[in-house]
Amino acid sequence: MKIKLETKSGVFTYTGDCSEPILFSGLSAGLSLPYECATGTCGSCRARVMDGSVEMAWPEAPGAAKLKRDKGDVLMCQARANSDCVLRVPANVTQATDLSAAPKWRVARIAAARQLTADVIHFDLTLSSPMTFKAGQFAVVETPDVLGGRAYSMVNYVEGTNELSFVVKRKPGGGFSEWLFANELVGKELKIFGPLGAATFGPEDQKDFIGIAGGSGIAGIMSILERATLTEHFRKHKGYIFFGVRTLADGFYVKELADYVDKAQGALEVTLALSDEAPASPTHPEFPQVRLDGGFVHEAAKRAMEGRYGDNAMGYVAGPPPMVDGALRLLLTEARLPPQSIRYDKFA
Amino acid sequence: MSWIKVCAASDVPKNTCHKVWVEGISVLVVNYGEGFRVMPPICPHMEEPLEESGVVANCVLTCTKHLWAWDLRTLEMDGSETEKPLKTYDVKEENGDVYAFIEGEIVYEFDDEDDMDDDSFFTNA
Ligand SMILES: Cc1cc2nc3c(=O)[nH]c(=O)nc-3n(C[C@H](O)[C@H](O)[C@H](O)COP(=O)(O)OP(=O)(O)OC[C@H]3O[C@@H](n4cnc5c(N)ncnc54)[C@H](O)[C@@H]3O)c2cc1C
Ligand code: FES
Ligand code: FES
Repeated sequence: MKIKLETKSGVFTYTGDCSEPILFSGLSAGLSLPYECATGTCGSCRARVMDGSVEMAWPEAPGAAKLKRDKGDVLMCQARANSDCVLRVPANVTQATDLSAAPKWRVARIAAARQLTADVIHFDLTLSSPMTFKAGQFAVVETPDVLGGRAYSMVNYVEGTNELSFVVKRKPGGGFSEWLFANELVGKELKIFGPLGAATFGPEDQKDFIGIAGGSGIAGIMSILERATLTEHFRKHKGYIFFGVRTLADGFYVKELADYVDKAQGALEVTLALSDEAPASPTHPEFPQVRLDGGFVHEAAKRAMEGRYGDNAMGYVAGPPPMVDGALRLLLTEARLPPQSIRYDKFA
Repeated sequence: MSWIKVCAASDVPKNTCHKVWVEGISVLVVNYGEGFRVMPPICPHMEEPLEESGVVANCVLTCTKHLWAWDLRTLEMDGSETEKPLKTYDVKEENGDVYAFIEGEIVYEFDDEDDMDDDSFFTNA
C-alpha cells in the first residue's frame, strides 16, 4: 500500500501494510507523526483522509469523539489503509534517516509473571530481537485473545535488550488487564510495537528529577531510576519520587525503591503516599529508607517539596489522567517549572 | 460593538483565570500578574475549557492537557509542544475595571483548519 502523508512540513510517501495502523507504519518508516497514547484514547493522532480507502479498526475509540467523520477525519493509531491513500496530518513532521531505533513490531513471549499486590501484576517478556529504548518509554502490546493493543511502560532499563519488564494494574472489567490475571501467562506469545513515547529522562538531562506517579505510573520511573543509577546521575543531582497508592498493602516495588535510595547515598528521596489510610509511621515499616505520607500523591509532593525546589529540575508525571493534571498544576505553579521541563504520560 | 467592561480587576486574582459572559459571548479573563488578557475560553489545541485546564505562572498560560503554553506578556508561543498561537481580544484596564474590545466572537477554526484545507502550505513547505 502506498501511503502519502501531506503534513505542515512537507509531503512524505512510504509503503505500509494494510494490517497495521497508519501511525505505526509511519513511525516505523521514521516519520515523527503526532501521537500520545497510540491506543485510541487521546485524539492527538488526528488526520484527514483525502483519497483512498481507510478503515478505523475501533470506530468507538474515545479519542474519536471529537473527530469530524463527515470530513474524513480518522485517528491514525486506529486507521488501516485498504488501498493506496492520501492523508493530511496537521502537524510538523520530520523524517529520520537512521531507522535503527525506529519503533517496529516484534514477537514476544512471556518469560515470567508474578503478582505483586491484590491488583498489580509484573511480567517479563523475551523479544524476538533486541530493542533499544529510552528510560520512560512505552510499548503497545497485543494478544490474539483481546481486541486492540494496550500501552505499557517499560519498568526495566538495559541498553539494547530482548528482555522487557512491565507492571499492570488490574482494571475491573478491563480486557487486557483482566486477561493477565485470568491466565497462566508463562509461554504466552504477544505482539509488541515500540519503543514509543517522549516522556523520557536520561543522562542528557543534567537536572534534579521530580517524579510523581499514581499506581502503575511508577513503571516509567523505575526505568528512569535504573538508568540514573547506572549513569551515577545522583552524584551530581537530586531526585524526589512520590508514589501514590491506596494503602500500605497496595505498595509495590518498595524494596527496589529502597535499594535505589541506598545507592544514591542521600541524593534520592522516595515517598509512598497512601490515599485511603493514615500512615502508622513516618517511614515504611520494612524499608525505613522510604518515607510514608497520607493523602493524594500530588498533595504529598506539595507538602514535602515546599521551599525545596531547586532552580534546575525536571518534572515527570505518570498515572491516571486526573492525578496527572493535579501534579502538572503543582509543577507549574509551586515548582514554577517551565512547561518544557515537564514530561508526562496519561494512562487513559 | 467596542470597548466593553468585562469585570472588575479585583474579580480575578493574580495567576488565575475566570470565565465571564459579555453580551452573549463567553470569554476567559486571565490575570498574569503584570496585566490582564481576555480570550476565547477554550484551548486552541483540542478545545479543552481553559478555565479548568489553564494554569498561569511566571506570566505563562499553560494548558495541563498537553502542555501547550503561551507567554501572556508577548503572546508568543512557549514550551516545546505548542503549535498554534493564542487569539485574544484587545484589553485595557481603567478605574479598576477590565475592558475588552469585542467586535464579535473570536473563534478558532478547528473544523476547516487552514492547515487542513489550504493547499498552498504543502507545496511551498
Ligand atoms: C502511554 C501509556 C502508558 C501506560 N502504561 C501503563 C503501565 O505501565 N501500567 C498499567 O497498568 N497501565 C498503563 N497504561 C494503561 C493501559 O494502557 C490500559 O489502559 C490499562 O491497562 C487498562 O487496560 P484494559 O485492557 O484492562 O482495559 P480496557 O478498558 O479493556 O481497555 C483500555 C484501553 O485499551 C484500548 N482498547 C480497548 N478496547 C479496544 C479495542 N476494541 N480496539 C482497540 N483498542 C482498544 C483503549 O486504549 C482503551 O482505553 C498506559 C497507558 C498509556 C496511554
Ligand atoms: S494517539 Fe491515537 S488516539 Fe491517542
Ligand atoms: S487541549 Fe490544551 S494543550 Fe491540548
